[in-house]
Amino acid sequence: MAVEFKDYYEVLGVPRDASQDDIRRAYRKLARAYHPDLNQESDAEERFKELGEANEVLSDPEKRERYDRLGSQWRAQERSTAGDADFEDFFDRQGFGGGDVRFEFGDGDFSDFFGRLFGNGAGMRTSGPLRGLDREALLELSLEDALAGGRRRLTVEGGRGIDVNFPAGVRDGQLIRLAGQGAPGRDGGPPGDLYLRVRLKPHSTFRRQGDDLDVDVAVAPWEAALGATVPVPTLTGTARVKVPAGSSSGRRLRLRGRGLAKQGGGHGNLHAIVKITVPKHLSDEERELFEKLGEVSEFDPRKTRA
Amino acid sequence: MNEQESVELAVIARQAGVRITLVRRYVEFGLFEPASAPSQPPRFAPSSASRLAKAERLRRDLGLNYAGAVLACELLDRIRELEDRTR
Repeated sequence: MAVEFKDYYEVLGVPRDASQDDIRRAYRKLARAYHPDLNQESDAEERFKELGEANEVLSDPEKRERYDRLGSQWRAQERSTAGDADFEDFFDRQGFGGGDVRFEFGDGDFSDFFGRLFGNGAGMRTSGPLRGLDREALLELSLEDALAGGRRRLTVEGGRGIDVNFPAGVRDGQLIRLAGQGAPGRDGGPPGDLYLRVRLKPHSTFRRQGDDLDVDVAVAPWEAALGATVPVPTLTGTARVKVPAGSSSGRRLRLRGRGLAKQGGGHGNLHAIVKITVPKHLSDEERELFEKLGEVSEFDPRKTRA
Repeated sequence: MNEQESVELAVIARQAGVRITLVRRYVEFGLFEPASAPSQPPRFAPSSASRLAKAERLRRDLGLNYAGAVLACELLDRIRELEDRTR
């Protein structure tokens, strides 16, 4: 495996001749900026680990000297081989590390580069086991899935896939806790938890209003005037809804319990909203009938509305 | 919070991977409040272990003392509250 050279001075943003005080100050400032408990950016944790590693080496005069020696040799070699030097070979030739050193970083805290330079876990400051970070991930669900429950395959820390069962009736913003699926612990501490924040995706048919749903139901003028029983889509299928005679557009017909799950049990309602729809093109007969209706009717929608 | 949802000191220690004396110390510094009647053995919110781990990471990584770590956690809570409210 190719090991990449790490410029610890660059990581801390200090010059090569920085004093120990400069290095300490730079580390402290950056550590506060990138600590994963303080910084929610996705690359903060990676940056913070890098900072810790750079500080581990540069704040220790002995390690710093060894690193400086390697760095100048490495740069010299890079120049002479036009930049495609193999670091692995380089290490062996220069007598850093050695064939008998195994590089295993179970905790993944420090890089292979560090291991190659100082041996397995050399001088890593430990202060006892500690539980790892909790993680949060988004679980985007359709309204149908949220109502029915189901299973999702998610990729978590370290590229592992896990199957997540989510119960029927999860709500928007709800947190689902997966114990032990967060970041690994330190020094053998237990892992953190993974929290899935449920987000309900917008639906092409239903509009969500909290736990209630709205759906438009197209109705012909004569159905609206005379009353009719029409099919209305629900999250689980189709319901038949009675549109009372004399229903105008915008009338809300409530289908009790056909909405989303409510906090503390039960379900919200589905509202079928009457939307009177007229034919775009009329046949001759239809036109005649509408004209006749217009002649005989005394209905004035502008008047009765008031 | 009912009984099933609260945990005792030893459980927090195990879940956080630390010694119980450390949990007691954070209780003294007010990182979390007991959720039970004063006469009973203290029980705490189930999120206590991850809260303790957060405080302890901050303390170890940033060179804070206990009071500083607890303060940082409380400020983080307030930031989160404010962010939730403006969302």
